[in-house]
Amino acid sequence: MSREEVIAGLVEILKTVRQINPEKLTNITEDTDFITDLGTPSTEMINIAAKAEQKFGIEFNDDDIDDLGSKIKNFVDLVLDTKAKS
Amino acid sequence: MLERKVAVVGMGGAFPNCANLDDFNTKLFSNKSLIRQWDEAGKYGKNIRSKVCGFITEEEMGLEIVLSQVLENYPETYLDKLDRIPAANLATADVGSIWAMIGALDSINMAGWSAEEVQSENTGVVIGSGGAGNEILRKAWYSFFELGKKTRTSGSHNVDRTMVYREAANVACLIKNKGICEAIGSACATGLGNIGYAYRLIKFGIQDRIICGGVEATSLETFIGFDGMQVLSRGFSPEESSRTFDIDRNGFVCSFGAGIVALEDYELAKARGAKILAVIDNYFNNSDGDGDMFYPSFAGQQRLWKGLLKDQGTKPDVVKVHGTSTPAGDAIELLSVVDILGESGYHISAPKSQFGHTLGAAGAVEFIASILMLQNQKVLPCLNSVKLNPELESFQQSPSWTGPKKPLEAYRDLIPQLSFQKEINHITCLNYGFGGTNSAISISRDVA
Repeated sequence: MSREEVIAGLVEILKTVRQINPEKLTNITEDTDFITDLGTPSTEMINIAAKAEQKFGIEFNDDDIDDLGSKIKNFVDLVLDTKAKS
Repeated sequence: MLERKVAVVGMGGAFPNCANLDDFNTKLFSNKSLIRQWDEAGKYGKNIRSKVCGFITEEEMGLEIVLSQVLENYPETYLDKLDRIPAANLATADVGSIWAMIGALDSINMAGWSAEEVQSENTGVVIGSGGAGNEILRKAWYSFFELGKKTRTSGSHNVDRTMVYREAANVACLIKNKGICEAIGSACATGLGNIGYAYRLIKFGIQDRIICGGVEATSLETFIGFDGMQVLSRGFSPEESSRTFDIDRNGFVCSFGAGIVALEDYELAKARGAKILAVIDNYFNNSDGDGDMFYPSFAGQQRLWKGLLKDQGTKPDVVKVHGTSTPAGDAIELLSVVDILGESGYHISAPKSQFGHTLGAAGAVEFIASILMLQNQKVLPCLNSVKLNPELESFQQSPSWTGPKKPLEAYRDLIPQLSFQKEINHITCLNYGFGGTNSAISISRDVA
């Protein structure tokens, strides 16, 4: 799975988070920040993680979720690392 | 301590089988029953005895459920198709909290409060509900305990969407008031209990204005709980199921809804030219003190009335009773009212006969129905009270009975079967709850 594919899947998930303005999802890059750029409420990050687990067929390690950075690239790294370990 | 006068200046909510407050008003005074067959209960066949309910669909409230992609049938959030509530607030709300938020916005709009007034340190929110957030919890607990999923599978909003004071919290986060935010719980007296508590907060100068009321969100669990007690009405068509005081009544109709009102210090409301919907004369509440969780207490209700009326001597034009349509409850309540007020000079209204028992919302929804009676100058009926018992109730034949010795039929003239016009200046509202809790409030038309 490529990084672009993960980002595309992540954008689909973010479209279901109704607190995020959909217009902000048109130019997502690896450096986009969930909190400062997208305005994602912190309580939604765990919901995004749960949806990502289902979408990508993986199960995150709890410690990895705790240590997750707030940029898109951090999330992509976590998905790909978890997939590689499984 | 200086005691301030308190005005009702706004109202709103969610009403069974109604699109909004105007619809509720029209249907109530057209003598309509708002009770329908409830397919949610019907799905379970003979496992649920009662199948009738005063419910509200999401569509009727302009809402749409968004189901989770991760957990089957879990209502992840709601869409507000009428754009009243922002997505961030919908995310933290169960459907009852959404009803409360809509009711709060309608109440504030009707009150005409400015943003500055709403967001003041002197503005409070006091809203409670009867049940838990069962529609959320059922699926969340199933995911964890039965499916063996991780806690995060059911998402991060199971606490805020189900905690005891979720309606108050959600309303406060929506309107951004800086005063008190809390919930009173007293079973089926919850709705009136919250309004009464809010009244006291303003009366004693602790807050200037409060959004208050009660909620009972749609919940099959709540329905099942009462059905299991065998206290729900059965055997009648939906519109004939709730029949307060009728000889054939056999239980209450479990309903859902929300009643929200805006209270304000009377002088402040008058000074800004607000329309005063009603003035609250007094609120009183007590406990039966007889150790009985369920059975109504004549003595407890006598003490309730005495506490409410004190030495005022003003007889209400209408008594809005709790009147659930249960065999014992209705009889004791009617005899207790007659014992205090006599056999004539007022009328009795039982709004539950039209929309069922909205439980934690009942006191607030019926408070709103009472204000509508003041506005329309019409008494709401005791629908389906076709025949009253011509014989004494069994408890009236006990040597220890100290109340009226006539059968219920003797008080027919107090109990209208249809709505009718008359001059209404004062109304007393009564609500009781499991645990032997009793609440009463008296309201009047503004004459100043």
